[in-house]
Amino acid sequence: MSNAVAKPKDWVPKGDLQKEISAEKMLLELPRELLFITGSEAAREAIKRANIDCAISYPITPQSETMQQAGYLYDEGYIKEYYRAEEEIGVMSATAGASRAGVRALTATSGPGLMRGMEAISSWPGARVTPVLLDMCRVINTPLAIQPDNIEISFLLNTGMIMLHAENQQDFFDYTLAACEVTEHVDVTLPAMVSVDGFFVTHARGPVSIPSDEYKLNRRDGWRSAVPAMDNENPPARISRDAPIQKSNFISYHMHASWQQEVFAALERSGKYFEKLLKGRIEIINPEAEDFIICSGSAVSQAREAVRQEGENGRVVGLVKVKTLRPFPTTSIVNALKNAKRILIPEFNQAGWMHKEVCSVLYGKCKANIVDGPRVFGGMTMPTEMVIEWLAKARKDFP
Amino acid sequence: MFLQKNLILTRTEPGGQGGYQFLYKIGQYGVSLGSKPQEEIQQIHWEADVIRYTSETPLQYEVCHTTELASKTLRFLNDSTLNEFLEKAFNYFNELEALEKMLPGE
Amino acid sequence: MSLDTIKPSPGFLEHLPIEYQDLVNHGQYGKKMKASDMGKFKELIEEHPMCAGCAMTLFIRLVFIGLPNPEHSVIVGTAGCGRLAISQGNVPFIYGNYGDTNSTASGLKRGLELRFPNQKKDVIAMCGDGGLVDIGFQGLMHSWFRNEKFATIMLDNEVYGNTGGQESGMTLKGKVLKMAPRGKVDEKMDVMGLAKVAGVDYIARIAPTNPGRVLRTVRRAILVAREIGSSYIQAYTSCNIEYSIPTPDVMKDAFDIEKERYGFEEIVSDRAKKFLDEVEKKKK
Repeated sequence: MSNAVAKPKDWVPKGDLQKEISAEKMLLELPRELLFITGSEAAREAIKRANIDCAISYPITPQSETMQQAGYLYDEGYIKEYYRAEEEIGVMSATAGASRAGVRALTATSGPGLMRGMEAISSWPGARVTPVLLDMCRVINTPLAIQPDNIEISFLLNTGMIMLHAENQQDFFDYTLAACEVTEHVDVTLPAMVSVDGFFVTHARGPVSIPSDEYKLNRRDGWRSAVPAMDNENPPARISRDAPIQKSNFISYHMHASWQQEVFAALERSGKYFEKLLKGRIEIINPEAEDFIICSGSAVSQAREAVRQEGENGRVVGLVKVKTLRPFPTTSIVNALKNAKRILIPEFNQAGWMHKEVCSVLYGKCKANIVDGPRVFGGMTMPTEMVIEWLAKARKDFP
Repeated sequence: MFLQKNLILTRTEPGGQGGYQFLYKIGQYGVSLGSKPQEEIQQIHWEADVIRYTSETPLQYEVCHTTELASKTLRFLNDSTLNEFLEKAFNYFNELEALEKMLPGE
Repeated sequence: MSLDTIKPSPGFLEHLPIEYQDLVNHGQYGKKMKASDMGKFKELIEEHPMCAGCAMTLFIRLVFIGLPNPEHSVIVGTAGCGRLAISQGNVPFIYGNYGDTNSTASGLKRGLELRFPNQKKDVIAMCGDGGLVDIGFQGLMHSWFRNEKFATIMLDNEVYGNTGGQESGMTLKGKVLKMAPRGKVDEKMDVMGLAKVAGVDYIARIAPTNPGRVLRTVRRAILVAREIGSSYIQAYTSCNIEYSIPTPDVMKDAFDIEKERYGFEEIVSDRAKKFLDEVEKKKK
């Protein structure tokens, strides 16, 4: 702890010295340097290059590591506005407020914080605001715990927001930058959440290759948006631009319905941008396999190693990694799995939301036996061995 | 950044604890290098074991605490001290391999 | 931008609705209206779905007239009666989530300052007593402690009017309302005192009995928020439905309550006073 010192008069924010480029150039073209850093540090490096105007947050484990780093970035001048808000409803409301002003806003939270901010977050897509929310998943159920468990993701699946699930530190860097740009395309104009399994990724180091910090994403252009920013820079009209559609008549119902339809249509339209920036919304290993594992987040890392070990033993196992949970890459998944015979869905939560998602898209389109697991939660670990045992059992149960 | 030469496998820590495992190999010997998550990020460290491979496919090894390099799991707090050890180990393994080649076949 | 956003391109004005033409030709943009001008110009709000005789509507109407720069203002509200009228006004209105006004306004104001460094944008959080000090308490207090530069206006009808007459934190002790079947147990919350403790630069309590004074108070609050720091107006805006005030007696009630316990009061910080003195002297 020390006392604050004012910036000297000739202080130049470091962000002013960065060159603006597109996400395509940032993610797909620039040369990269390999580092070995934590997920939180990967998020910091992404934020540093994301040209964030306003970052607001409230501390919670395991998110704090990232947002306090964002504070240092503000101090250095990579972020223009930053403060610690009262709690998560305040954070999520203020973040949306900043986004409504037409600037690029970012925040981050974890498990219980996400739940606290839920009312505000679930209103973002309908408000057509474009903040990026980094979500470091942790247990939300009682008893209170700080361990990794991604049940919180299931609560947001039907809000209309873009949802990405990072497997590791590298993904957390790449997905965050991709999200910052895709959210702001006129035909999208939606918020995004980039989730990562807390602790396993945020508090562990992993290999991350990153481009130089001489570059940052193009700034948000507040004029380009599917709905006008709340800046009073448009000709006045005697209608509220956030119409309270609460009248009990058919026109109100119809307005609300069409508004929701448009939100979900915009969500689908975001898919093409991620397809390009993330080099596909799914990753497939061993497409010819009969046995498949499909999952997202850090379960992919465990599955990846299981696939490798099975390969060493002469058993070909396929892997589908889902990068975008919303929009859900339905067609790609159906195409990847249509000839599968057995499908395993490992997850880090009790409810098995990915299992439900996959079952609903494969219903009637695939004859595979879909195994409901393996599943760990509450901070429990998923050794590679566990995935391999479940594969063996699936082969035995469904010869 | 830690050394990438002689690195034959990078994988998630297979025990499921989070973090990564890196396997280096020179001849029959190598180093298993691990970095696991810590609640206090400052406490993240490297754990290194000298290993002896028992099979190439599937890749199998046993921990070898009987070399002159290390008699236990070593901890390193930063990349530079780790790299010093790795360089030393690589030289040692190379010499060991050369020596083993000089031994008459059994 | 400027007042030019309001003016249609040459030749287009005649094709716009008469409502719009009136706003351009006879509206308050670029002018400072007095209470005595009411009825002589096109106001920012005219039609609304509020109950007959609602004092809150009169107050909201006066707030709109009092806006020093309506072409550069954004109003933030939340659920409650007020937003039914505010949303009909000719100023962008954010109808947010429950009790989120002051958190939303904090982010909005900071965002607008980043985007428009050379154009002050006035942000006004205006909503009911329940929205501000019950469900919105945390956001309200923290925005004040952070000294956020926007004005907060409480439409204090001392009841949850829009949900059908439940007691609120601003209801007087002893009043029998829904959810207070034996009468409200606790005292009316002293939000003026809270504002003072939080260091709000301009605090005013007012009833809509003197339109000129309302306009002046609204202008002062917004100007202080624009240049100095947080400001707060607490306005008595009775609910004639839930408090069974006969429509013709609504103004009589306002005068009575004002005299009894809602007298005009201003609490102004030294720095805000200095600023207001300068601004008001210059105008004279």
